[in-house]
Amino acid sequence: MDSLIAKADALQPHPKRRKTSHSHDNTQDSLKKHTSVPKSLRDKNPQPNVLPYKHIANKKLRTELTRNAAHSARAKALLDDAEMLLTEDAGVMQPEGELERTWRVSQSEIEVDAGQDAARGRREWKLDGGPYRSRYTRNGRHLALAGNSGHVATFDWLTGTLHAELQLQETCRDVTFLHDDSHFAVAQKKYVFIYDRDGVELHCLKAHIEPTRLEFLPYHWLLASIGNAGYLKYQDTSTGQLLVEHRTKFGSCSAMAQNLHNAVIHLGHQNGCVTLWTPNLPHPAVQLLAHLGPVSSVAVDPSTGGRYMATAGRDGVVKVWDCRNWKGAVREWSARGGTAELEWSARGALAVASGGTANVYTAPTIQQPMLNSAQPPLYLTHPIPHRPLVSVRFAPFRDILTIGHGAGLSSILVPGVGEPNFDSTEADPFENPKARREKEVKALLDKIQPDMITLDPEFVGSLAPPSKLSTKTTFDGKPAGEVTFARLPRLERLRVQGRADETDVGDPDDTSPHERKRTQEEKERKKMRGKGKSVKRFLRKQRKNVIDPTAVAIRAKLERQREERRALAKVTTDGPRKPSALDRFASK
Amino acid sequence: MKIRVLQHDPATHLPQRPGDPTPVSRNLNPLMHPFARVRERTRALNAAKMDRMFSKPFIASLEGHVDAVEVMAKQPGSLTTVASGSWDGGLIVHHLARRSQLLHVPHAHKGKVSGVCFSREGRLFSCGVDRNVKLWDLESSDTQPVTVFSGKSAFNSIDHHNSDPLFATASNLVQIWDETKSLPVSNLTFPTSTETITSVRFNFAETSVLASVGSDRTFTLYDIRTGKAERRVVMQMSSNALSWSPTFPTTVLLASEDHNLYTFDIRHLATPSQIYKGHVAAVMACDWAPTGLEFVSGGWDRTVRIWKEGQGHSPEVYHTKRMQRVSSALFTADARFVLSGSDDGNVRVWKAKASERLGVIGGRERAAIEYRESLKMRWKIDPEVGRVVRSRHLPQPVYQASKLKRTMLEAQRVKEDRRRKHTRVGLEKPKAERKKLVITEQT
Repeated sequence: MDSLIAKADALQPHPKRRKTSHSHDNTQDSLKKHTSVPKSLRDKNPQPNVLPYKHIANKKLRTELTRNAAHSARAKALLDDAEMLLTEDAGVMQPEGELERTWRVSQSEIEVDAGQDAARGRREWKLDGGPYRSRYTRNGRHLALAGNSGHVATFDWLTGTLHAELQLQETCRDVTFLHDDSHFAVAQKKYVFIYDRDGVELHCLKAHIEPTRLEFLPYHWLLASIGNAGYLKYQDTSTGQLLVEHRTKFGSCSAMAQNLHNAVIHLGHQNGCVTLWTPNLPHPAVQLLAHLGPVSSVAVDPSTGGRYMATAGRDGVVKVWDCRNWKGAVREWSARGGTAELEWSARGALAVASGGTANVYTAPTIQQPMLNSAQPPLYLTHPIPHRPLVSVRFAPFRDILTIGHGAGLSSILVPGVGEPNFDSTEADPFENPKARREKEVKALLDKIQPDMITLDPEFVGSLAPPSKLSTKTTFDGKPAGEVTFARLPRLERLRVQGRADETDVGDPDDTSPHERKRTQEEKERKKMRGKGKSVKRFLRKQRKNVIDPTAVAIRAKLERQREERRALAKVTTDGPRKPSALDRFASK
Repeated sequence: MKIRVLQHDPATHLPQRPGDPTPVSRNLNPLMHPFARVRERTRALNAAKMDRMFSKPFIASLEGHVDAVEVMAKQPGSLTTVASGSWDGGLIVHHLARRSQLLHVPHAHKGKVSGVCFSREGRLFSCGVDRNVKLWDLESSDTQPVTVFSGKSAFNSIDHHNSDPLFATASNLVQIWDETKSLPVSNLTFPTSTETITSVRFNFAETSVLASVGSDRTFTLYDIRTGKAERRVVMQMSSNALSWSPTFPTTVLLASEDHNLYTFDIRHLATPSQIYKGHVAAVMACDWAPTGLEFVSGGWDRTVRIWKEGQGHSPEVYHTKRMQRVSSALFTADARFVLSGSDDGNVRVWKAKASERLGVIGGRERAAIEYRESLKMRWKIDPEVGRVVRSRHLPQPVYQASKLKRTMLEAQRVKEDRRRKHTRVGLEKPKAERKKLVITEQT
């Protein structure tokens, strides 16, 4: 029996084994105090010293929490290393002399400087049939265009292969690809139609009446449309159901954008309002008055995680808004030529097409607050003689801006606006048909339910805020004393036992002792009862501004008594005061 | 003016030769992966749902017994050979892979077969209430026992020594027998014990130590070298079965009449190291997986449950309409399957992991399975994912019984609480649940 126990003692389970192999190197220890390891020799990813869970008594829980924390710290460190994977360099356009300006550079000069291959991005498509709107797929390989008078085409613009060309013989107001290049939707005169890659009409969405703008939310598989009637409609393209329709109550709308990072739809209305919509709320999540006049275009910045929004109005003003704080625009300026079309690029450049020019502004300056309405420094400008300019689109993963105008499309080179490194699991310009099919299936499996759309997409998996209902004073409508220990909720039981984890999660510096919040109990004690009765209130009003000499006398007397009491208390607490030399001057 | 326009070289992104894999490029910038967290949650939810969808644990039912299957034993060193004995005295040796019978003795004993065990060399021992222990030869097709050892009283359990040709039987006392001698070598009993011993088991590591549980609510440890009982623990309720952990030699598992299972570290017999609550009736059988990380239990409530070591709640639950009270349960030697023998006379074969796919699993599929497992672990706090992961369908009577049990325990707890509040008992610390089990420890 004893030998069994001895054997078992030797065979501790692994985590319980005490670490005994502390290498003590005397030389190293003596050196350590006076030197430091050079930076180049130091461990790049030191194991983080994680001991934040010391206070947790439950051993199993503590081990698991510590392991999780260490794991996430290691993952974060490894993420920094992953920069090695970014092999491609972004485009640049930098002035070398003091007198050089980037906006003076014309397209022909850029074409000369860009390589043979990159110069192919500079194109002019001369097309009849009214102003053209265009749209790229998410991987930037395919382009769809829709002319106002019914000319719709999709093609692989890199190889120049035409997929479909349709003459629809009716007004087409917008076009968008669905999850990839295999389907596209066109907002036609009366309904939205869905076509496949070859231009075969697959569906007529009769619920979407007189649509003006379309947006596809790729991770939710939702096609959102807004029309002349002012109804925002969401159609699930994986199940075919009309998910929800919101009545905006603002009438016809022709400005729509999606925030790529939280799938919120931004609408710009005729009365100058911009509203933010989710499928879950029957009213806008945010509504702000952005312009004095109709809003002509809205765009959301993808480079900052959807933090900034740009709007342009018929009043000729372009405004940049901070989506965290809606109090006034961050920056505003007037665009020459009136109504502007806007689009942000993946690296944060803002394209503004107004009048007869397309202007591009770059990132840090358009988001810096400015008191006057000065135009931010221009990065690049390109004149286009064919008015009106109705759409601007940046090609993903390219330095290309495509402008749709009255005589077709022209795509120009804008160095430095495109994200250089794509991720094959998200969008790959070079994917083959098999990869495309596989991605379609994977995306369907990972489809996010529409009720997960909120302004803050990170709410999933975060801790729920603590309940405001306190069980301290009452539980089940009874005072706490009445409730037996067994019936108390777990946290309350722990608190009674003194084992609750009361450690403050927040920053300990931000609370000073002076503005300490009063506890529930104190508040209850200090609460002034019976002050608000109507009679009392009436009498108080009557007493206002009336000086009663007796009341004044009594108040003075009370004050004097209070003073004496305070002095007495001070003497008793501090002890008898030592006689001072200055006492002789004190009034007796 | 320095101008460079972004361009992708197709040569680096397209396969070099036809047939090559397409190069994959990664950019781990979080802005490139919108909704990463939400998508991961969706994947976790899908993983949890798929796990439930594919959970079809029942594999086969091995027939042959006329009455309830009382005991089962696996042959050491064999993945497929399992012996089972039933109440009608029938003894069957099953071949699990072929689902055939290697040996079928319809009347091995008069009355029920109360114990079966294998020796290291593969000889089969069975004992019955007819006061006989019989030794069977698996090689011969003969249905006559090789040897018969006759005892003085009905036997309840038998277990073979791990290395020596010794075996132990349990009746009203524990007897050690030599395979070559017809009479017991020694009798082991605790001096004051008079009641029946229901089960006896040898330790795997320290081979001379054996433990027994009895109807006098005791758990007793013996050593055959000293030839006497070393320690005894008296508990609130009697235990029906016991099983030594195969990986940690001091851990023993008890299946108790009070619906719970207990693991004890025999160095500290005052408290169990873990209580496993879940059954809604007496637990009749238990057996460790050879990994020592899981164990199976079968109960009077007609369910088989698979527990993780150290996790005292929410076990995996197996049941079928036709399975009656489970009186024996076994983990197979590869830890992939679970056997249950029940009152309806069938031995059932179940998967140890309900949604596991049988057959060869490739590397990528294995990786996907592991990824899904880790997703489930990570997102089990999410209400929706957790609900899918936790919920198990239970038969109506079991569900009702568990509800009733919960209500009764809650009422008891509240009553105890009120009593403590209004009496002098309340001044003391309440007794921990683990400390309530053991009444006395005797040496």
